[in-house]
Amino acid sequence: MRARPWPVAASLLALAAVALGLARAQSADVRINVKSGAIARLPLRCEAFQGQGSGPASSRDADDVLAADLQNSAVFNVERAWVSAANDPQPQFVTSGRWSVSGSTARLNGELRDFPGRRAILVQEYSSPVADWRRLVHRFADDCVQQITGERGIAESRIAFVVREGQNKELWVMDYDGHGARPLTADRSIVQSPSWSPEGSLLLFTSWRGGNGPAIWVMSPEQRKPYLVSGRPGLNTSASYSPDGQRVACTLSQDGNAEVYSLDARGGSPQRLTNHRAIDTSPCWAPTGRELAFTSDRSGSPQIYLMDSDGGSVRRLTFDVDYTDSPAWSPRGDRIAFVTRVGGGFDIWTCRADGTGAQPVLTGGNNENPRWSADGRHLVFASNRDGGYGLWVTDLDGALPRKLNTGGRRALSPAWSPRARPSPDTVSK
Amino acid sequence: MNWSPRIIAAAMALALALAGAGCAKKPVATTPVPPAPTPAQTEAPPTPPTPIPVPEPEATKPPVSASSLQVVYFGYDSFQLDDGARAALDANAKLMRDNPTLNVSVDGHCDERGTVEYNQALGQKRAESVQQYLADQGIPANRFRVISYGKERPADEGHDEGAWSRNRRVEFTPR
Repeated sequence: MRARPWPVAASLLALAAVALGLARAQSADVRINVKSGAIARLPLRCEAFQGQGSGPASSRDADDVLAADLQNSAVFNVERAWVSAANDPQPQFVTSGRWSVSGSTARLNGELRDFPGRRAILVQEYSSPVADWRRLVHRFADDCVQQITGERGIAESRIAFVVREGQNKELWVMDYDGHGARPLTADRSIVQSPSWSPEGSLLLFTSWRGGNGPAIWVMSPEQRKPYLVSGRPGLNTSASYSPDGQRVACTLSQDGNAEVYSLDARGGSPQRLTNHRAIDTSPCWAPTGRELAFTSDRSGSPQIYLMDSDGGSVRRLTFDVDYTDSPAWSPRGDRIAFVTRVGGGFDIWTCRADGTGAQPVLTGGNNENPRWSADGRHLVFASNRDGGYGLWVTDLDGALPRKLNTGGRRALSPAWSPRARPSPDTVSK
Repeated sequence: MNWSPRIIAAAMALALALAGAGCAKKPVATTPVPPAPTPAQTEAPPTPPTPIPVPEPEATKPPVSASSLQVVYFGYDSFQLDDGARAALDANAKLMRDNPTLNVSVDGHCDERGTVEYNQALGQKRAESVQQYLADQGIPANRFRVISYGKERPADEGHDEGAWSRNRRVEFTPR
């Protein structure tokens, strides 16, 4: 009765697509070493695409999506050539291309060149159904980031989140830039804590659907059919896949108290990891899968602790701030984001994985549920920093956080997908 | 559906009332039915027509409902029962002893401060401490279902200490 939909097939597809792209791209070996998220942004000029198009896939729309993707990458500082170039510094790179729409197919011949020499770094043709034209541009943007940094960008990733509607909460998903938001559930129940599978094809979440209290479910955003993972008596919450997708860490209270457990991917063979009469919850895996961070109030108020993946070597993460919760381990492994209570609100901080170097990232209002992008350069979080609750993204290089457009919906509990793109892959090279 | 004599009788009475041929004075479907043979039965005709399937009447509610039980309140980030909470639970325990068919859902709730996940666990702790106290008063565990709603169902949508104190609670609802 449980879903194991095609993670292997999806991974193979992604690998094949990447391999194909690398084989065909004319690439010069221009790479800049990127460490620990933030780097100094590289000046890049986006030149308007040539060519014609119409409707939602007009070339100017595509220009704007590409420029936004490259700016959002936190790798580039983007100058839009079609706006004004008067005071901009000379760019180091330039993008251009030819855009066309014929019938139901959109086509882009995208180019990334150095400047002023204009030597080709990436020259690539992409095509997709017109309806998926944004994904096509995202693909080009991620290829540009990959050529320069050696790592793919995150423009093709998605964000799952929770929308509060009256007393109910439904699960939603959208593109990383806030486009294409759509509901995945219509249960008129409560949904919490979405979390992606490592290959990006499945979402774990907590739901009250069925009316027997919180249970852990899994769903493919494409199929939208939920399968029960754990519906044990009491709490079944805070679920997340291990980096290899083989285990699910979660909170259960079946033994009389909220403890952290590790289940197999189908919800069986529970292994209890914590053993304390305090509340233990919110487990999150290190990208190595060898450790977990979790929240416990064993010292009197909620604090983040680390433990080995078998439950051993429990130690408190940081003593620099009091009342910490909602840990999120960077995919790079080097830092852990968390929330800390300050007065009546919550700030988002990060510290090194050994607990040192704690520093604030966001202050003011309630800033909650920080979750990393796959490249470790951004955090998405829920905040009421401008009034109502919504989703925001911050780059870790000090750029101002930007609010995602969720259509005025009260959006909470974001989860950023891994890079892998959903199948079927409609963009081809 | 289980066609017990009582339900068949109620169905027949309802059919009669709908046809305008009956002489029922009460709205059968909403009247609590005592455990003894029902008044509706005495009003049924001697040769009953084939029963029409009708929704099962809401006739099994005991005279005392879950909402008769007092709400229990908690301190910030706490699941300890204070004197007020214990007094409310003593009264609730008496009501449940006096009404042995009253089974309830014990719903733990929290104020909006803190994370969804932590409050989920805190609400569970509150509900379980209430259930344990009632169990210690001799109310068997199988008369309860324990659910935590965390901070998902505030009683007061406000954002001040008054609202928060009203939201840190355990409520009793029909199971």
